[in-house]
Amino acid sequence: MHGLFRWSSKWWPGLIPLAILWIVAAWTSTAPLEADLAARSNASLKDTILDKRRIEVDGRDVTFSADAFSEDGRRSSVASVEATPGVRLVHDETRLVPEAKPFVWSAERDVVRLTLGGSTPLPASKNRLTEAARAALGGVEVVDRMGLARGAPPRFDAAALLLIDQVGKLKDGKITISDTSVSLSGMARELGGREAIAAALKNLPEGFSVAANEVKAPPYVFQANKDPVAVTLTLTGYVPDNSVHAALATTAGRKFFNEKVVDNLKASVGAAPGFANAVTRALGALSRLSTGSLVVSDREVRLSGDALYDAAAGQIRGLARELPQGWTAKVEISVKPAAAPVDATVCQQLFSELLGKGKIRFEAGRATIDPDSAGLLDRLVEIAQRCPGASIEIAGHTDADGEDGFNQALSEKRAQAVADYLVKAGLPADRFKAVGYGSTQPVATNDTDEGKAQNRRIDFLVR
Amino acid sequence: MMFLATFHWGWLVGAVLLGFAMGWIAVVHRGQGVSKTTARWLSLLVAVLIAVALAHLVPGRFGYWLDLGLMLFAAYLVGCAVGSWLRDWVVSRHVAA
Repeated sequence: MHGLFRWSSKWWPGLIPLAILWIVAAWTSTAPLEADLAARSNASLKDTILDKRRIEVDGRDVTFSADAFSEDGRRSSVASVEATPGVRLVHDETRLVPEAKPFVWSAERDVVRLTLGGSTPLPASKNRLTEAARAALGGVEVVDRMGLARGAPPRFDAAALLLIDQVGKLKDGKITISDTSVSLSGMARELGGREAIAAALKNLPEGFSVAANEVKAPPYVFQANKDPVAVTLTLTGYVPDNSVHAALATTAGRKFFNEKVVDNLKASVGAAPGFANAVTRALGALSRLSTGSLVVSDREVRLSGDALYDAAAGQIRGLARELPQGWTAKVEISVKPAAAPVDATVCQQLFSELLGKGKIRFEAGRATIDPDSAGLLDRLVEIAQRCPGASIEIAGHTDADGEDGFNQALSEKRAQAVADYLVKAGLPADRFKAVGYGSTQPVATNDTDEGKAQNRRIDFLVR
Repeated sequence: MMFLATFHWGWLVGAVLLGFAMGWIAVVHRGQGVSKTTARWLSLLVAVLIAVALAHLVPGRFGYWLDLGLMLFAAYLVGCAVGSWLRDWVVSRHVAA
C-alpha cells in the first residue's frame, strides 16, 4: 500500500495525454449524447398526452416545456423525463393548458367551407372532430381553427360529433356549444332539413340543452309553367304529401284540358297552411292565361303572363282576394293582342274544335260553372271576339237521368250561365241566345256513364 | 453513471490503458515526483470538483464535460494503480529470481 503512494507521485505526466483524450472525447461525444438523450426523453413521453411539447438538451440537462391537460399528467410527464437514464437535470417549463370559461366550440358553414373553431379538450378529440367533419361533408373544405383548453363539459365529444352531423344538413349557418348550451342558426340545405335537425337535437347527450335553434327552412317552392308552343304545363317543386299531389294533378288535368301536364313534383314537409287551396286557385288563374308562369314560394304567389282579353286580366289581378288568409299575391298580367277577325264559319269550326277537346263543367245537378272551366270559357270568349258579326246560339243539353222537366230547366239555366259569363267578359248580350234542349238531343247512348257524360254538354252554334 | 459508462466505454478503456502505461513506468521511473504538499492540494482540488459534479452546480455542457473529465480521471487512476502494482510484482519476482 505504501508503494502505491510512492508510485502515485510519479503518475502525473500521464495527465497531459489524459487531458488531450478528455478534450477529444468531449469534442466528439457531446452532440451524439445530446441527440440520444433527446430521442429517449421524447420516447419516454410517447404515451403522455401533451400539447406544444418541446425538449431541448444542453449537455445532460433537459429543458422540457409542454402544455399538459391535467396536473397529474403534467407531473407524470416531468417524472418520466427525469427518469430517463443519462438525464442529469430537468428544467421544468411545463404548464397546464389554459382553462376556457365559458368553454366555447363552434362549427361555421358557408358555401365553400366548414370552419371549426373554439376549444376542444384534447388533441385526440380535435382530430376526431376534424375527421368527422370531413366524413360528414364529403368534398367540402374543412378548416380547423380549434384550440385546446381545459374545462370542457362532460360528454363534449359526443355532443360535438352529433352537431357536426347536423352541420351537413345546413346550406350555411353556425352551430355553437357554450359550456352545455347549444345554439344554431342558418339555413337548412333542403326542405325537411330544419325538422331533421330539430329531431336530432333531442339526442344530445345528457346535460346539454338547446339555447337557441334559429335554423330556417329554405323557401317552399311550387312552380308551374305554361308553354303555349310545346302545349305543356310543367309542374316543379314541392307538395306536402301524395294525396295533395294527386289532387293537384287531377285539378291541373281538368283546368289545362289542352296541355300535356308534365309532373315533376316531389313530396316534402314544410308547406305553409292552406297550400293546396292557394295552389289550386293560382293554377286556375294560370289556366286562363295564354302563356304564363306561376311561382309559389312559402306564402307568396307570383303569377305572370298574358290574359286573353281585358276583363279576364282584371279578374286574374284579383287573385290575392281568393287566396287563404296570410297569403300574398304578386300578379303581373298583360293582355295578349287580339287575334285577327275571322269568318262566321271559321268561328263555328274553332268553337267545335275547342269544345271537342274540353267540356264546360258544372256542379252536379246545378247551373253553377265549375271554376276548373274558366280557362276553357276564356278561350270561347276569345273566339267569339274574332267574329264580332256572328250571332251565337248557346245550346244546353243534359243526359236522360231524372225528370224531363228538371232536365229541360237545368239545360236552359246552364246555357244561360255560359251566356252570362260571355256577357260579363264584355261581349254584347244580343249576340247570344241561350237555349235548353234537356235530354232530347243525345249524342251518345244514355245507358252508360260514359255516354251520359258526353250527352251533358254545352254546344256553340253560329247562326 | 451507468449510462455514461456504457456510452463512453471506448474513451474509458483508453483512459485505463493510458493509466496502465503510466503506472507501469512510474515504478522504475527515477525522475522527481510531486511533493506531498502539491499532492494534498491536488487531492483537495479533485475532491472539490467531485463535490461540484455531484451537486450539479455546473450547468449544461460544462457540467457534462466535468463529469466526463472526472470519469476519465478515475479510469486513469485505476489504470495507474493496476499498472504500478503489476510492474512492482513483476520487478520483485525478477529480483527474487
